[in-house]
Amino acid sequence: MVGESWVTTTFEKLGEWGRNNSFWPLPFGTACCGIEFMSVVSSHYDMARFGYEVVRFSPRQSDLLIVAGTITDKMAPVLKKIYDQMPDPKWVVSMGACACSGGFYRAYHVMQGIDEIIPVDVYVPGCPPTPEGLMHGILQLKEKIERDRKRVKKEKATIAADRDGSSAAA
Amino acid sequence: MPLIETAPAPLLEKLPADSAVPVEGLDQPTWLVRRESLKEVAKMLGADASAGFDLLLDVCGVDYPGRAERFEVVYHLYSIGRHERLRLKVAVPEEDPVLPSLIDVWKAANWFEREVYDMFGLRFEGHPNLRRILTHEAFEGHPLRKDYDPARRWILTEDKIYRPEPRPDDEESGDDMFEPMTINIGPSHPAMHGTFRIVARLDGEVITASEVEIGYLHRCFEKMAETHTWQQVIPFTDRLNYCSAFINNVGYCRTVEKLLGVEAPPKAVWASTILSEFSRIMDHCVCNGATLVDAGALTNFWYFFQPREEIYGLLEACSGARLTVSYCRIGGLAADLPPDFEAHCRRLLEMIPPFMDDIEKLVDKNRIWLDRSVGVAAISGEQAVNWGWTGPCLRASGVANDVRRDHPYDLYDTVDWNVVVLPGGDVYDRYRIRMLEIRESLKIIRQLLDRGIPEGPYIVDDPHVALPPKDVAYNQMEAMIYHFKLIMDGIQVPAGEIYSMVEGANGELGFYAISDGSGKPYRLKVRPPCFPIMSTFSHLIQGGSVSDAVVSLGGLNIIAGELER
Amino acid sequence: MTEHPKETRPYRYSLAERLYLPLLSGLAVTLKHFLRNLLGRGPGYTIQYPEERRNYSHRFRGHHILTSRPDGSLRCVACFLCATACPAECIHIESGEHPDLNIEKYPVVYDIDMLRCVFCGYCVDACPEDAIIMSTNYDMAYFSRDQSIATKEELSKPYTYDTSRLGYRPHYPEEEAQRAAIREGVVDLIGEARRRQGSAAPAKATKAAPARRGRAKSTEGQPS
Repeated sequence: MVGESWVTTTFEKLGEWGRNNSFWPLPFGTACCGIEFMSVVSSHYDMARFGYEVVRFSPRQSDLLIVAGTITDKMAPVLKKIYDQMPDPKWVVSMGACACSGGFYRAYHVMQGIDEIIPVDVYVPGCPPTPEGLMHGILQLKEKIERDRKRVKKEKATIAADRDGSSAAA
Repeated sequence: MPLIETAPAPLLEKLPADSAVPVEGLDQPTWLVRRESLKEVAKMLGADASAGFDLLLDVCGVDYPGRAERFEVVYHLYSIGRHERLRLKVAVPEEDPVLPSLIDVWKAANWFEREVYDMFGLRFEGHPNLRRILTHEAFEGHPLRKDYDPARRWILTEDKIYRPEPRPDDEESGDDMFEPMTINIGPSHPAMHGTFRIVARLDGEVITASEVEIGYLHRCFEKMAETHTWQQVIPFTDRLNYCSAFINNVGYCRTVEKLLGVEAPPKAVWASTILSEFSRIMDHCVCNGATLVDAGALTNFWYFFQPREEIYGLLEACSGARLTVSYCRIGGLAADLPPDFEAHCRRLLEMIPPFMDDIEKLVDKNRIWLDRSVGVAAISGEQAVNWGWTGPCLRASGVANDVRRDHPYDLYDTVDWNVVVLPGGDVYDRYRIRMLEIRESLKIIRQLLDRGIPEGPYIVDDPHVALPPKDVAYNQMEAMIYHFKLIMDGIQVPAGEIYSMVEGANGELGFYAISDGSGKPYRLKVRPPCFPIMSTFSHLIQGGSVSDAVVSLGGLNIIAGELER
Repeated sequence: MTEHPKETRPYRYSLAERLYLPLLSGLAVTLKHFLRNLLGRGPGYTIQYPEERRNYSHRFRGHHILTSRPDGSLRCVACFLCATACPAECIHIESGEHPDLNIEKYPVVYDIDMLRCVFCGYCVDACPEDAIIMSTNYDMAYFSRDQSIATKEELSKPYTYDTSRLGYRPHYPEEEAQRAAIREGVVDLIGEARRRQGSAAPAKATKAAPARRGRAKSTEGQPS
């Protein structure tokens, strides 16, 4: 089968390795957390050390959405649209109390957590989180992606084995 | 600080009888103005050369459900030449919530009136574009009315989003060289700093008309302040201008201290002045760094962020947080200064100037930057004042106006420093003035450090205002009771009102607080310095290209948290 | 009425600026930094997180800790002051009767919603028992919102008692020691800073200072 050939699986592995080590983040920075995000990409913390420095403001070119800052109800359709425009596979890091849960703004114009409209992979608490906190969150995401990949692979193998088993029985 | 008592009485005589009645016993001269004569009074005050109230600082609505005339609109005026302040109050009944618009007198009224309309539902007759400004299009009701539930949200869907169609005034003339095109920039656009939206009509590359949409970061600060105790508001003030959070803390705490009639001890005042100046440096660093990045000069960004990180180190050593410090408390500081505070400050004084030197060498005389910024988005001093500008942006247009000098607070009247003024009024001079102000701030800090840390407590010893020290609270029953009372009920601020201001990193940062004697603010209005500045933006970018618009937005230093609160 | 300038006077280019000459001094600046970093003489600002950690001060407001009495029970007496003082209302307490009659109440449930928390430190200020303090632990990330509720058990985990990781709290014994050292003249931070300011030597951290400072780094960072 073509899909199972050595070349394609190796290529897939290479792609996954590359993807994991070079997120292209889209910083959806609206407020205070956006300022701390700037610290993350500037020289003191330098996210380029992980290969995540290609900050893209175009959703079509990025695979990691970092929502940094309060999302208000007015901003919500914009955020949703940006998320929808991103190509798969994509991940979302919610940075800071406001994006995660609304923080202490239990108010008439503030979204109580961006998970009301888009799925979130990692929540980073803090108001705003320290740059280390955000980097920790992204590294956790990286581990999570690896874990998920292994799990999916295992599941695929189980399904394939089941199918083979059942076809053999038939 | 002494209250301003000289009421501009001669001005009253110029008005027809009973159109304005002075109110005694407030922090600043106040007139109760009849709604019908508001426009006349405003014209006399703003346009008449002898009155000279050339700056409209703020328009604030207040809701008093118990009163016969439910709403009150409060105007804060300022005379730059005489450093005088005047407050006008207009009562508006609920049944007929209409009052005249003051756009003809002060252009600054434009957005302020829209905000009052949005928050209270009062209509301004003669306003050209009276629609919601902070909340979204699907919003119903007026959130700052007392009967509005603070947590009641409305969901905005894609189809309801407002689609502005800016039209130039002279479109019919058919002068367009190219086919006109309308483009949308933002809110998620790197040049719009995340939260502004501009719909611009282009003729080729030239912007012929534009409409600015804000409110994407309206976090309901003022409603939140009404639902929290006076102390609990401090963390909220951090998040107004998050580039210089400490100045907000100081501004708010000084306001409440004046209402309470307490004064922060010398040590706290000394430290606040130093930390405010460091915050100002930090804010200017962010602003200039971002402006230069918008113009394509990335290297400076790293150079600017280095001193900023170091200042974060100082703030963190004092308060425990890098950005949202909450280090001020009503009546002093949250904690004692760290033992190495002075040494740390001196280390910063030593390390910041080389970075500034590097940046100045890189861009100051660099023709690429000069070409991008000189003459771009220029505004004359007279116009800027009419639009309500304050702070570095106004000083770059040749008007020397600085709260630190004109209404000194903390220790600013005891140090030797200059108010920097430049004549250009363009992006270049706004950049330059920030560089020069960084030097002035360093000068202030150096002088204060040389005086040494004042001895004494860091917060007032008044159990009605500040929590008693922990070891006292653990050993004395009385102190413990005060501790409990202060946290359960909050600070009991006597009924009254006050407008108090500090020089924020971007202009006059005012807090207008009304207390009704309960533990929570009745109304807390922030006078955000960048709100009137941003309202000018559409006017500033007209006739320039899109790339000029990007650079000029950076140069104005618009901080969304403060703009939209 | 004061006259405000009616017109703007933009900056006028000098001849050198017209000829792009000052660009060279800019290039010299970047070249200087480039060479200095290339030769390893640069200040090396980057913190190699996670191997290396920025040394935050002992006032850092990070993850909360519930402290214990010597017998191991929680100090907290469920007085609700922290929950009242919290502007984010993120602390949820349910109190119960304590078997020891000297202690009135204890928290049956003590949850902090870490995603709501804004780390303002008001709970620490409010606590009359020193029962809640903060740590310098900022490595927090959650995969779901349920995970983010820190329970009584998590908040009082023994690892948080590592004294080097204590953050914002009512008393700082280390500061007292430092103040005493300054008073007795063991270290002279200010004099040293003044001297360096006068001599315009390159910024370098004082070795004698026990205080942790912004730029100083520690390599003994705990594994996350």
